[in-house]
Amino acid sequence: MGRTLLCGLFFAVLAIGFTSRPSAGATEEAANGEPQWRQAAPGYVWEFPRDLHAHPDYKTEWWYITGHLQTQDEDAASLGFQLTFFRIGIQPTPADTSGSNWSTSNLVMAHAALTDSASGKHLFSEVIWRTNSLLGGFGAPGDSVLAWCQAPPGTADRWTLNHVDGSYHLQVRDDEQQLAFDLICEPTRQPVFHGEGGFSPKSADGRTGSLYFSQPRMQVSGTALQNGQMKPVRGQSWLDREIFTSTLGEGQKGWDWLSLQLGDGRELMIYRLLAADGTADFALGTLVERGGNSTSLPSDQWILTPDDHWTSPETGARYPVSWRLQVPSANLDLVLEAVMPDQENVSPRTGIHYWEGAVRALDRQSGQPAGRGFVEMTGYGEGSRPPV
Amino acid sequence: MIRLLLRSIQRQIRDSRTLFALSVFGVALGVASVVAIQTLNRGAMQAFNGSVQAISGQAELSVVGNVPSFAENLLVPVLGDPDVIAAWPLCRVDAAVQGRPGLLLDVVGTDILAPMRLPLESDAGPSATWTPLEVLRRPDWIALTPAMAAEQEWAVGDTITVSSGSRTARLVLGALVDFQRFEPLAPEALAVMDIAGAQTFLARKGQIHQIDIQIRDGADPLLVAARLDSMLGPGVRVLTPEQRGQDAAGLLGAFRLNLTALSMISVFVGLFLVLTTVQATLARRRREYGVLRCLGAPPATMFWLVLAEAAGLGLLGVLIGLPLGYGVALRNLDTVSATLTNIYILEGIDRLALTPDVILLAAAVGILGAMAGAAYPAWEMARRETLRLLAPANLHQDAGRQAGRLSAGAAILALLVTAWFAAAGAHTRWGGFVYGGLMLIALPLVVPLMVRQVGRLARPDRLGFRLSLRNLTARLQTTSFAVAALAVTVSMLVGITLLVGSFRATLVTWLDVTIQADIYVTTESWVRAGSEAFLDADLLTELRAVPGILAVEEQRRMRVRTADGAHQIWLNGITVADLPGAELANRLPLLPGQPTDVADRLERGQVLIGEPLARKAGLAADDTLRLAGVHGIAVLVVAGIAYDYTSEGGTAFVTMPFLEHHMGQGPINNAALFLAAGPTAQKVTDGLRQRYQERPLIFRSNRDLRREVLAIFDQTFAVTRTLQSLALLTAVCGVSLTLLVQSRQRAGELALMRTLGATRHQVFRMFLGEGAAMGGLGLIMGLAGGIGLAALLILVVNRQWFGWTIQPTWPALALLRQAAIVMTATLLAAAVPAFKAGLSGPEQLTRDDL
Repeated sequence: MGRTLLCGLFFAVLAIGFTSRPSAGATEEAANGEPQWRQAAPGYVWEFPRDLHAHPDYKTEWWYITGHLQTQDEDAASLGFQLTFFRIGIQPTPADTSGSNWSTSNLVMAHAALTDSASGKHLFSEVIWRTNSLLGGFGAPGDSVLAWCQAPPGTADRWTLNHVDGSYHLQVRDDEQQLAFDLICEPTRQPVFHGEGGFSPKSADGRTGSLYFSQPRMQVSGTALQNGQMKPVRGQSWLDREIFTSTLGEGQKGWDWLSLQLGDGRELMIYRLLAADGTADFALGTLVERGGNSTSLPSDQWILTPDDHWTSPETGARYPVSWRLQVPSANLDLVLEAVMPDQENVSPRTGIHYWEGAVRALDRQSGQPAGRGFVEMTGYGEGSRPPV
Repeated sequence: MIRLLLRSIQRQIRDSRTLFALSVFGVALGVASVVAIQTLNRGAMQAFNGSVQAISGQAELSVVGNVPSFAENLLVPVLGDPDVIAAWPLCRVDAAVQGRPGLLLDVVGTDILAPMRLPLESDAGPSATWTPLEVLRRPDWIALTPAMAAEQEWAVGDTITVSSGSRTARLVLGALVDFQRFEPLAPEALAVMDIAGAQTFLARKGQIHQIDIQIRDGADPLLVAARLDSMLGPGVRVLTPEQRGQDAAGLLGAFRLNLTALSMISVFVGLFLVLTTVQATLARRRREYGVLRCLGAPPATMFWLVLAEAAGLGLLGVLIGLPLGYGVALRNLDTVSATLTNIYILEGIDRLALTPDVILLAAAVGILGAMAGAAYPAWEMARRETLRLLAPANLHQDAGRQAGRLSAGAAILALLVTAWFAAAGAHTRWGGFVYGGLMLIALPLVVPLMVRQVGRLARPDRLGFRLSLRNLTARLQTTSFAVAALAVTVSMLVGITLLVGSFRATLVTWLDVTIQADIYVTTESWVRAGSEAFLDADLLTELRAVPGILAVEEQRRMRVRTADGAHQIWLNGITVADLPGAELANRLPLLPGQPTDVADRLERGQVLIGEPLARKAGLAADDTLRLAGVHGIAVLVVAGIAYDYTSEGGTAFVTMPFLEHHMGQGPINNAALFLAAGPTAQKVTDGLRQRYQERPLIFRSNRDLRREVLAIFDQTFAVTRTLQSLALLTAVCGVSLTLLVQSRQRAGELALMRTLGATRHQVFRMFLGEGAAMGGLGLIMGLAGGIGLAALLILVVNRQWFGWTIQPTWPALALLRQAAIVMTATLLAAAVPAFKAGLSGPEQLTRDDL
């Protein structure tokens, strides 16, 4: 059962933020007078630290942290990491837990990955539980805990994401996968809101979208497991915080997303939703200047062209692993290269797969390093389209 | 040799169809008994194992509590064990379905997100709503097996009202769950809910009944179990599926053994039939064997030839007995299933399978049994000199001489067995069965002497009953076997009848002492759910306020284990009504002891144990009973021992505060109401039924409860009545067979009688008289054997295996009825051969006969 059941859950989450229209179900629910999810809409008034915490009136949200790490004896980053907590809303009203702690309105799913380009290893781990006092949950405003969950079976620990004194504390351990890190991510600039006032549209008509902000550059310190040893590490990371209700459109099969921390102090985020034929159905980006000012980058202001590809021996999916990125208005013409091709995350329970990996950016003209980033690609390969 | 054998069998069938058919039928009945009982026995275990496999089939380990439920937070340390790759909680609810009397669902509440194997996907059709999010949104979602849905004509989307204890819930059939796809023996009654819905429905917040665990490849389950055991604390155990199966097998051990022993008696009786048949065949074909010997066939060849024929006969018996036994098992399915549910609180059987091992057992019993029955006459024939085989000798000429020797042998056997039993056997668990079995073997050995002596007393003066009696003596070698078979059968009939009758009478007396409240309140699901069917506290408060109800007694009951794991017992917590005349001391059916002293000691936290537990655990007053409790081992001083017929597994009683102290707090299961003088209990019962007709409550008046207890008792012994009938049928076949053989062997004698003026009617009566004489003798000897068997069953076997004291009584009416049945059956069996004998005429007289 597990595989079939969880396929739906997983892509329900990954896909929901990139949508073209409200779901038919939501319309019917509204007609029936049933409680319904709140839709992300322009004009949202952000408030912190409230908006760091969960928003149970929206169907889905995530805390998505990616970054690059280097150990003390390294000159450059050799480790890439990912920790994502997903909240999956089951129903918009709080569950009645008077009869059972297992009654719930939310699921918590977490994905963690660690890429060691020096050894060529990409480790991935996932958990999915319903929220309850035993297995996982989300903090409320006033708590330092933003999200937590029981580690995968076989590991006597919890995965946690805390917000303490303005920094994000991440703890992950999976003994079976030999994956562990314990990091503190300290933002170096104010949050960046995507779209207008943090409403990031997901369709051309702008009727649907997500509430979306990022912490595009955070200094990281802590420890990570490398070759069986927890080693002190430092580096930089990116946090995406996205809150939404709508679902993936029928004509869409997945998306590409990338974040770049450029060497000149600027940051860039772009995404594009993919139509069934692989072309972009809708795309948008954000450029963050050195001073922290951000501007939207409509799809006609940038070109992302895949170059080399890699075919996963495990799933058969064929992913691009190098691209040319042109942003003429920002004077950028970059080559993006995966630090290693195999950074595919494959869920051992569901078989669902996507590529989430560290990339390096090179100036196309000079060939010099221009920055680092992360790329996410979903909907590649047979049967990986979200079934929602 | 094979050709000779086949030809010989062909000839036997052609020459004596009725004889052959009867002997095959006899073997078939014996085989059928074994097949029926072993199929039911296996069905009982398969129902349990099928349930375990269906639910926990992919789990290498399960955590279960010392008491039925335990804290759900133990899931977290289980998940943290380095060798665990998956673990999920289970909350089990036995739910009664409203509007479907007697229908109970075994609801498994699980974490629907867990990687548990639930075959939910197909068969439910497009309208099935079982996506995980849908299930999590709908606490009333339930999935049933396709077989159950089809049987009850439910479709996905239908609403089903069920109850657990005094709670009801309206559940919506959201999907079908075809457990039988993975586990063919999975019970139809299995159902699945999300754990949240199950806990809410069961009012079991924070409590679960089981954690199923998958461990990584290569990990040693026993090592992981030991590690988890020490980590999880004393309130739970970590078991492999095999260990759980052994627990259930232990519970059913005595029940299964007794049925097996009874079925073996049928086989034993069937052996006599084969023996008689083979003997008759050999007598008729002695010249044929003589010629074979003259032609050089060695005695060993002759011996094996006869045995091979018997094996062929046995094989035919097996072929008939297999479907017959399976049919008998099917016919008794409901009653045995009800016994398992009522007495052992195990899964009822909803399906039977004729397994290869039962087929093999049946083949072995039928073929080897037939060969064993043929061994003696074959040996007799093989050792005989060739000349004697060719001479027109009488088969019965040696029987008279052997009667004395056989009786002497029987006496020596009985003496030796009795001496062994007195010295050692009585102290062993199997001693009673061995003793009874050997005495049943000794009984037939006395029969020839008995028949001879009785026959000698008869002084025949005309063609009457005395001549019939004398004729038995004249054909001792065949008639002895028929009488012996009948004697063994009647022994079983009488023994069981005395046992059941005495048991029933004892039970009635015990009920008089223990059942003193006016009304008993329980729930529809209690019959299966037992300790997990609760009465809500608000209901008890309401009952206390009902006019006419003076006091409400509460009972909480749970299955627990002794600390050494050797015994699973029912532990009862009771609150006693504070009413004159209802004092606990007046209601304790104590084995020797002071009721007031025991009642005082109970109030001080000591325990009263039932007789079965005392016997099985070797406990006496002032000993300590050590139970596995929620905080570890609970040490309880035994205040006294009471007669107890509620469970063969053992029962113990403490006061409610001490139950909660040792086993944790929890809601109560049953209540007993004491009424004020005035309205009759029946009237108040009817009023309560009316008032609570919407709730799944059962109100039984004192009289109703007694009646139902006795009905369950009768149901428990229903299957033994079937076995008794099979054995009796086999035995009367023997009578019929013997007389048929004689009508052939005595053709000349009968013809001479007819020539001398005997009428057909007189010959008919003479044969019928022989049948009656066999019946009478079998009855007398069987009565003696039955009394001995009953004494053994009541005084030894029951105490050893069940631990019950039964006061012997004489159910005279039942015994008389049984005697009448035996005699009627025997006379009916004798009628056909008697009629055939009556057909012989003077023209059948030959020179040889003169």
